[in-house]
Amino acid sequence: MRSIRLFLYGIPTLLGLLLVAAFVNASFLSVVKKNEMSIGTMGEPSTLNPIQESDSASGDVCGLMFNGLLKYNQDLEIIGDLATSWELSQETTFQFSTEEEAYKTTQLLQSLLPTHPEWQLNSVALADKKLLLHLKQPGLQTSEIIFKTLTASGFHPLPFPSLDKGEKESPFLAEPIIRFTLRHDVRWHDGAPFTSADVAFTYHAIMDERVASPRSSDFELVSSLTTPDPYSVIVRYKKPFSPALLSWMQAILPAHLLEKVEPTKWAELYNRHPIGTGPFKFGEWKTNEYIRLIKNSDYYLGSPWLDSVVFRVLPDPLTLQLAFQTRQVDFWNAEPWAVQGVIKDHRFDIFSSAGNMYNYIGWNLRRPMFQDLRVRQAMAEAVNVAQMIRYIIYGHGVQSTGIFTPKMWFFDPKVQPLPYDPEAAKKLLDAAGWKLGPDGIRIKDGKRLSFTLLANNGNEIRRDIATLVQDDLKKVGIEVKVEIYEWAVLLKNFVNKGEFDAIVLGWGLGNDFDQYAIWHSSQTHPQELNFVDFQNPTVDHLLVDLRQEYSRPAILSMAAELQQTIYAEQPYLFLFVPEGTSVMWKGSYRICQPGTKTGEWIDSPVHMTKAGWNYNIEWFYRPEYPPDTERMRP
Amino acid sequence: MKPESPANLSEFQVSAFKFHPFSYDSSFQPMSSFIIRRLALSVVLLFIISIISFFIVTLTPGSPYPWGELNPKISKEVKETFRKKFHLDRPLPEQYAFIMRDLFTGNLRSIKDDRPVMARILERLPATLALNFSSILISLAFGTLLGVTAARHAGGWQDVSGSLAAIVFIALPGFWISYLIAIVLVNEFHVPILGTQSYGIDFPNAAAAILDRLWHLLVPATVLALGGIAVQSRYLRATMIESLREDYIRTARAKGLSEEIVLYKHALRNSIRPILAGIGMLLPAMISGSVVIETIFAYPGIGRLSYEAVLERDYPTLVAMNFFVAALILLGNLISDLLYAAVDPRVRLE
Repeated sequence: MRSIRLFLYGIPTLLGLLLVAAFVNASFLSVVKKNEMSIGTMGEPSTLNPIQESDSASGDVCGLMFNGLLKYNQDLEIIGDLATSWELSQETTFQFSTEEEAYKTTQLLQSLLPTHPEWQLNSVALADKKLLLHLKQPGLQTSEIIFKTLTASGFHPLPFPSLDKGEKESPFLAEPIIRFTLRHDVRWHDGAPFTSADVAFTYHAIMDERVASPRSSDFELVSSLTTPDPYSVIVRYKKPFSPALLSWMQAILPAHLLEKVEPTKWAELYNRHPIGTGPFKFGEWKTNEYIRLIKNSDYYLGSPWLDSVVFRVLPDPLTLQLAFQTRQVDFWNAEPWAVQGVIKDHRFDIFSSAGNMYNYIGWNLRRPMFQDLRVRQAMAEAVNVAQMIRYIIYGHGVQSTGIFTPKMWFFDPKVQPLPYDPEAAKKLLDAAGWKLGPDGIRIKDGKRLSFTLLANNGNEIRRDIATLVQDDLKKVGIEVKVEIYEWAVLLKNFVNKGEFDAIVLGWGLGNDFDQYAIWHSSQTHPQELNFVDFQNPTVDHLLVDLRQEYSRPAILSMAAELQQTIYAEQPYLFLFVPEGTSVMWKGSYRICQPGTKTGEWIDSPVHMTKAGWNYNIEWFYRPEYPPDTERMRP
Repeated sequence: MKPESPANLSEFQVSAFKFHPFSYDSSFQPMSSFIIRRLALSVVLLFIISIISFFIVTLTPGSPYPWGELNPKISKEVKETFRKKFHLDRPLPEQYAFIMRDLFTGNLRSIKDDRPVMARILERLPATLALNFSSILISLAFGTLLGVTAARHAGGWQDVSGSLAAIVFIALPGFWISYLIAIVLVNEFHVPILGTQSYGIDFPNAAAAILDRLWHLLVPATVLALGGIAVQSRYLRATMIESLREDYIRTARAKGLSEEIVLYKHALRNSIRPILAGIGMLLPAMISGSVVIETIFAYPGIGRLSYEAVLERDYPTLVAMNFFVAALILLGNLISDLLYAAVDPRVRLE
C-alpha cells in the first residue's frame, strides 16, 4: 500500500527534481569557450571521401581536411596548393601518307619558325610519317593556322577520326599537356610524405567504376597521366578542354592507405575517418550529431590557430537559428526575411554577397506561342522584377542579366536588364499578332495566350515568383495558370520529358564558364538539361569554342558574347540573383594570415572577399586565444 | 511515429483473443502452441509487408542520386555506373530479390553512404531508446498521478482543470509545442537545448557534464511525453471511475477499509492492468522514434534516420527500417497478448 503511494508520488517528484537540477546546471554552465569553432550544417555529410562526395555538407568538411593541386585565392584566381607550379603546353600531330611528305613539312615549318614567334612553337619534330609540334599555349587557333599554311604549300595531312559521334574528323590531333611540380614539404596526417604517386592514384580511383565517383566526367578527356619523378605529374588530354584545369582543385587521396584496399571496403575503412593533407585532421564523427576536426600542427602552411572545428548537424532552419542565439554554433546563414532584423542589430557582424545562383522562368520553346521572340521579350518587360526582389527576398538581391552571375570573373556587367515597361510589352504583343480578346486575354488565330506555369512544392520563393508573374502577365492580357508539384514529380513528369509550358527554376552553378550541358542544341533530349529546347547556332559555336580556349582575355570576350546572345534571345525570363547573408557574433573571430613577405603576418577582422568570407578558416582565431606568430614559420 | 497510447488497447483486445468471462481456469492451455502459431503467421505477414513496403518506397517519384538530378557536372555515364552499383538498372522484382537477399545476409548497404544498413540503424538505437524510455517513464508517472487524482476528485476542480489541460495537450500539434518550448528556453533563459550535449564548453566537473546530457535528454522527452500524459491520465481516470462503481469496491468500503486502501490497493490495481499490458505495444514506437521531436531538437535518433532516408530515396535503409519496425510491431503484439493473459486470468490464449 505504502509502496504504491511511494511510486505514485515519488517518481513524478524525482523526475521533476531532476529536470529542475538539469535546468539550473544548464543555465549556470560556465561560458568559458574552448578554442573551438562550431559550424552548423543542415544536412549530415554522406561521406568524407572527397572523390565520392557530392553534397555540400560533405564538401565543406572535406575542404578543411584535404588539398587539391590547385586552389582559388581570395580574388578567385587560380594558385598552387599541393603544386608549387604548373605549366600548360600542347602537342599537335599531323600525319601524312608518306615519310617523305612528313619530312618536307618538318623542313618547311622549321624554316618558318623564326619568322612566326606568335605561334609560340617550342619545337618541331619528325616521327615516322608524323609531324609533331610542341606549342607553348594549348588551344586550336595556332594549329589551324599551321594547317592552313601546310595546305597552302601543297601538303595534305591525313585526317584523324573524331572522338565523339557527330563531330567532324579533325585534320590534326591537338593534345594539351599540364605539367605539375609538387611541393616537397607536404605530409599526410599519418606522417607519410605526399608524392606524385598519390596524384596518380587519385586519378585512377576516380576513373574506377567500382568507386562510382561523380567526378569521373571531369577527367574522361585525360589520355594519360605519368609521374616521371615523385614531385612531377604530367597529364595529357585527348583534346583541348580548358575547364579541365579547374578539375585539379580536386582533393588528393593517400595512395599508401587505399591502394591495397578494395574500393567496396572504403566505406568502412576510410570514408568515415579519412587521412588527408589539409589544415585539420579527422577527430571524431557521431552520426547525426557532429563531426569534430582537430588542428594539423604539421600543416605545410603552418598550424591553424584553432584547436578544433566541429560541424554540428542541425536539420531545421529555426533550430539552427536557436543554436546560433545560444552561441552553440558560431555562424548562421540568415534567410532573406530574417536579414532585415539582423542588419540593424549591433551585436552581429554581417557578411553578404550576391550568390552564384539565379532564378528564372524557362519557356518551353517547343510550344508555338513561345517561339516568337517578341512574345518572350514582351513577357520579360511585363514582369516587375524589382518588385519581386523587394517583396520576395526583401531587397537582398540583384536583377539577373543572363546565364552568369555578377560574382563570376567572366560575368559581363555591360548587359543591361530589359526594363519593366508594360506599355512596351503590350505593343510588342500587338505587333506579334496577339490581339486583346473579349475576356481580356489575347487571341491569335483563335488560340488564347494562356499557359501553365509550374513550380515546386516546399520552395516558397518559387511559389511567390509564380504568383507575381501570374499577376503581372494578366495586366498585359496573358493568362497564367500556376500548378505546384512535389520536386521529384516535377522532374519526372515534366522537366525530364520536356513536357511543360513554363517553369520556375534556378541554376546554382560554380565558377565555371562551361555551360555546354545547359545550352547546346545537342542537349535537348529527355533527361538532358537543355529542357527548354533552346537551339542557336551562334551559341553552339561559342559553347564549343569556349571550352577549348585557354587564354583569359579570349575567354572573357567569348563569355561576354555568350551572355549577350542568350540574354537577347530570352529563352528564360531571367529574374534575380539572391544575396547570401552570413551572421557572426560581433568580433568572435579575427583572421591572422601569412603575408606575401616571409615572416610577415597580417591581422584583420573577418571580411568579405571575392572567394567569400570563410575560405581560410585555418587562419581564423578567437580573440581570447591570440595567435602565437613567433613560434610559427609562415 | 509517436508512441502509441494504450488508449486504443481495446481494439486488439477484441481482435487478438477471446474473452471467456465464465471460465476462470486457463492453466490447461498449452501456451507454446499458441506462440508457434503466432510466429508462423508473423513470418507470412512479414513477407507480405516487405513486398508492399518495397513497392511503396520504390514507386514513389524521385531518385536516390546523391547529387540532385539537375546537375550539369554529372554525365550520363556517371549516373549509369551509380545505378548499376545499386542494381537500380534492374527491373523492380529483381531489385526486391537483391534487397531481401542482402538484408538477410547482412550485406544490405545504404545508397547514401555505402555503409551496412544494420550498422546505421544500430548506431542510432541507443539515443532513440534513451529518449523514448524516458518519455514513456515520464508519461506513465505523471499520467498515473494525474489520472488517479482526477478519478478521486471526479467532478471537482482538480478533475475539471485536469480534463481541460489534457484536451489542450491532446489537441495541440507536437511540432508547435516543441518550437514554442525551444524558443522560450533559448530566448528567455538562454540555455542550450539542441543535440545531446552543450558544445564548446569546458565542463567544471563530471556531474555538470552528466546533468548537461540529462538536460538535453529530458527536454525532448518531456515534450514527447506531453501527449502521452494527457491520454494516459484520461484513460486511467475513466477506468478508475468505472472500477470505483464496482461491487467489490462497495464491499471493501462496507468492510470498513480506509479510503486510501480502497483507492490504491483495490481500485488502482485493477485499473492499471491494461496500461501495464499495453507496454508491449509501446516497443515498436520506442524503436521507430519520433521524426518531429528529433528534427526540432536535433536529436540523433532513428526517427530522423527514416525521415532523411525518405527524402534521400535511400531504398535499402527504408526497406530495412520498415521490415524492422513491422517485425517489432508483430513481436510487441505477441508480448502484449502474453502480458495481458498473465495479468488477467479471464483471458485465455488459443
